Amino acid sequence: MFDHGQPSYAEVNKDIISTMLETGPKYWMLLGGTMSVAGIFFFMPWIYQLFVGVGAAGMNHNAVWGSYLSNFIFWIGLSHSGTLLSAVLHITNSPWRKAVYRSAEAMTLFSLMTAALFVMVHVGRVWFVHWSFPIPNQMGLWPNFRSPLMFDVMAITTYLTASSIFIYMGSVPDFAAVRDASTGLRRRLYTIFSFGWRGTAREWHTLGWAYTFFAVFVIPLAVSVHSIVSWDFALSAVPGFHHTIFAPYFVCGAIYSGTAGIVTVMYCLRKFLGFSRYIGQVHLDSLGKLLIALSMIWTYINIVELFTTWYGGTSYELEALSFRLTGFYAPMYWEMILFCAFVPLLMLSKKIRWSWNKMLVVSILINIGMLTERFIIVATSQPRKFLPDSFGFYVPSWIEISITFGSFAIFATLFLIFIKWVPAISLYEVKETLKPLRRDA
Amino acid sequence: MSTIVEKISAYSKPGYYEKFDYHWTMTIDLDRCTGCEACMVACQAENNIPIVGEERFAQSREIKWIRIERYWEGEYPNIKMGFIPMLCQQCDDAPCETACPVYATYHNQDGLNTQIYNRCIGTRTCAVYCPYEVRYFNWFTYTWDEPLEQQLNPDVSIREKGVMEKCTFCIQRIRTAKDNAKDDGRRRVRDGEVTPACVQSCPTEALVFGNSNDPEAKVTKMMNNPRGYTVLEELNTTPSIVYLTKVHS
Amino acid sequence: MAIVGSFAFEEDFLGAAKTLKASGFDKLSLLSPIPVEEAYEVIGLDKSRVRHFSLAGAIFGAIAGFALAVGTALVFILPTGGRAIISVPPYLIITYEMTILFGVLFTLLGFHFVSGLPAWRDRPYLDSAGIDRFVIVVEGVAADQATRAEAIFRDAGADEIQQVEDGQ
Repeated sequence: MFDHGQPSYAEVNKDIISTMLETGPKYWMLLGGTMSVAGIFFFMPWIYQLFVGVGAAGMNHNAVWGSYLSNFIFWIGLSHSGTLLSAVLHITNSPWRKAVYRSAEAMTLFSLMTAALFVMVHVGRVWFVHWSFPIPNQMGLWPNFRSPLMFDVMAITTYLTASSIFIYMGSVPDFAAVRDASTGLRRRLYTIFSFGWRGTAREWHTLGWAYTFFAVFVIPLAVSVHSIVSWDFALSAVPGFHHTIFAPYFVCGAIYSGTAGIVTVMYCLRKFLGFSRYIGQVHLDSLGKLLIALSMIWTYINIVELFTTWYGGTSYELEALSFRLTGFYAPMYWEMILFCAFVPLLMLSKKIRWSWNKMLVVSILINIGMLTERFIIVATSQPRKFLPDSFGFYVPSWIEISITFGSFAIFATLFLIFIKWVPAISLYEVKETLKPLRRDA
Repeated sequence: MSTIVEKISAYSKPGYYEKFDYHWTMTIDLDRCTGCEACMVACQAENNIPIVGEERFAQSREIKWIRIERYWEGEYPNIKMGFIPMLCQQCDDAPCETACPVYATYHNQDGLNTQIYNRCIGTRTCAVYCPYEVRYFNWFTYTWDEPLEQQLNPDVSIREKGVMEKCTFCIQRIRTAKDNAKDDGRRRVRDGEVTPACVQSCPTEALVFGNSNDPEAKVTKMMNNPRGYTVLEELNTTPSIVYLTKVHS
Repeated sequence: MAIVGSFAFEEDFLGAAKTLKASGFDKLSLLSPIPVEEAYEVIGLDKSRVRHFSLAGAIFGAIAGFALAVGTALVFILPTGGRAIISVPPYLIITYEMTILFGVLFTLLGFHFVSGLPAWRDRPYLDSAGIDRFVIVVEGVAADQATRAEAIFRDAGADEIQQVEDGQ
């Protein structure tokens, strides 16, 4: 678990809390950089679009859904990382999860927030988007709960709430540790955040039970959220969308892209916060093996989709399939297959799996492939629906590319703010992996 | 439909728990259609459909509630062209209606698939779900240069950006006809009293419109013609438009 | 008065706790930097009451979710696509999400009720309890019992013993 020898309990506190209390100029420059990029590349084009209309993006009559929706799905997918690592591996009592799960949960929360932003960029009249919530109003109107988008609204609201509570409650003992190590305003803030936690047996007992229940609730929630998002597509009659495999396909793709995202974030944590003592080869190796398994499932599902579409032979489906494989977007499709099905096989070699730099490259390639995959699904199925006269073509405009780029900056900004407010590694869980404080140990 | 139990059991079954008041239906005789596109012009004039401009037309963002689809077969000099006017089919089992999260489109008591402009928040899910691609989105707020705004129909609202629109079977004319019929002694709307703009302007009378709940209406007789078919029948959308296939020699 | 003692090792901590309990000091708080399973038995905690809150939340959420979906559909009947007004499969999805939402919210409530947090008033505490020491806080100690309690702490191997007056 620890590459450079086990730290003592006091060293754990010092190492992790010092990343929060001590802030150098490099941090402020990085934060300022990501905020400027987010402002210039995301918010300014979005404000322009609010004035001009959604037509500023590249969507047209043949493909009314474009990169905004595919980015939304990508970010929801990325959010499944934390849930898998934190909740699933908690239930299975996995020891290597303990150092990395807090940051993974933070990734979940911030991916969800970014995804919610994309919904707002995507709709035509965002100033009325609150009509999709079941809020009593003077018109006496309620949203249409039969709509797949309403399933989305309920699922994402629940997922946001549950994830925030999950990460907050898991951090309460760590907030107490930060409170003890700080003074002044910070001490008062963290006293409030930690609810006056002392670490009594009753508090630990209750927290343990509550946390396990949160995990048990959040796991089926995560599976349902991405299934529901996939049903935005699968519940239509459109040839490239209307497949029953969409729900497992999207859930698997989400966990896959999320786990790759965790590798990227772990690399950054090690490099910028100096956590190389706590996040070591064991974590990288385990994540690598997980990625190989997920990549194989993803490849299998793709093969199944291709095979059943081709064998079934419906003219509409074959047209959509041939457009996807050989049409305008064929290079992107094959790039996606390369990055998501073949590149991860490199991780079968221990040399790749144990090298941080190589794994960083692999994880970024996987996520580029997954981003492309969402885009391919959206952009190649709509222009080939049923009536050939309406076949068309969709190319993203500069605003969409800029907003896609800016969304990564928003995520980075949120994460940078997170590492200064919440310990990025869970203190008490790491201590549980250390040698116990016993005379006979 | 009085007791709660009866109501609940009626609401739990798919379908419409009450028969449509009027069931507005259209038949399009493809043998008579010449592809002249007079219906498109009439529709644009009647329903305040914006002119999007050359640049936006090239981006496939034009709005045409009724369009003539053209299909070519064969090589020169043996080219055959077929065309079919395509407009909102007012499907009874519309895939678009279930998709809207805010009920901006629903099926009214006359069997029409209505679009409520001021409820639409622009998610465009209905346009994705529509297999006929007859829903059009206002990508921008379009304006009419002077003096074209004097041509606008006061009975039809202008749509702003972010709102979905589509053929309504000229619901403003249906509304006017029903109001006139009510004022005229609470009678029903008679066959031929309401014609949408496209039906009115078709030079070959290829389009016939009426209430198919009325057994004496012209459209009811045309519907039962053995040449009749519905587009994309296999999708089970039960459209309210019956096409009469072209007679081939 | 409260007596606070800290231990470097888990066995000393648990031994002292058991001795204190046996000697009649009931108001014990066993503080540790990580959860210690054996400490739960000393306090007498078995299955947490949080689970009742979770179950209640899940049941409430299920009923509320289905009622929300069906109720709002019936308030203003707008038929869409020939589907039933009370169409059960989509409403089951809403029910499912609300079950989880309220399950989580009620569990949160349950945590607060059962653990006694938030408790922002000053309570006896040693900072080292959050780092690497196991701390026992004995409350409600009368002045004459103080020496006895301190003796138990010292015998068990405490490395820091403090007396805290009430209200501090």
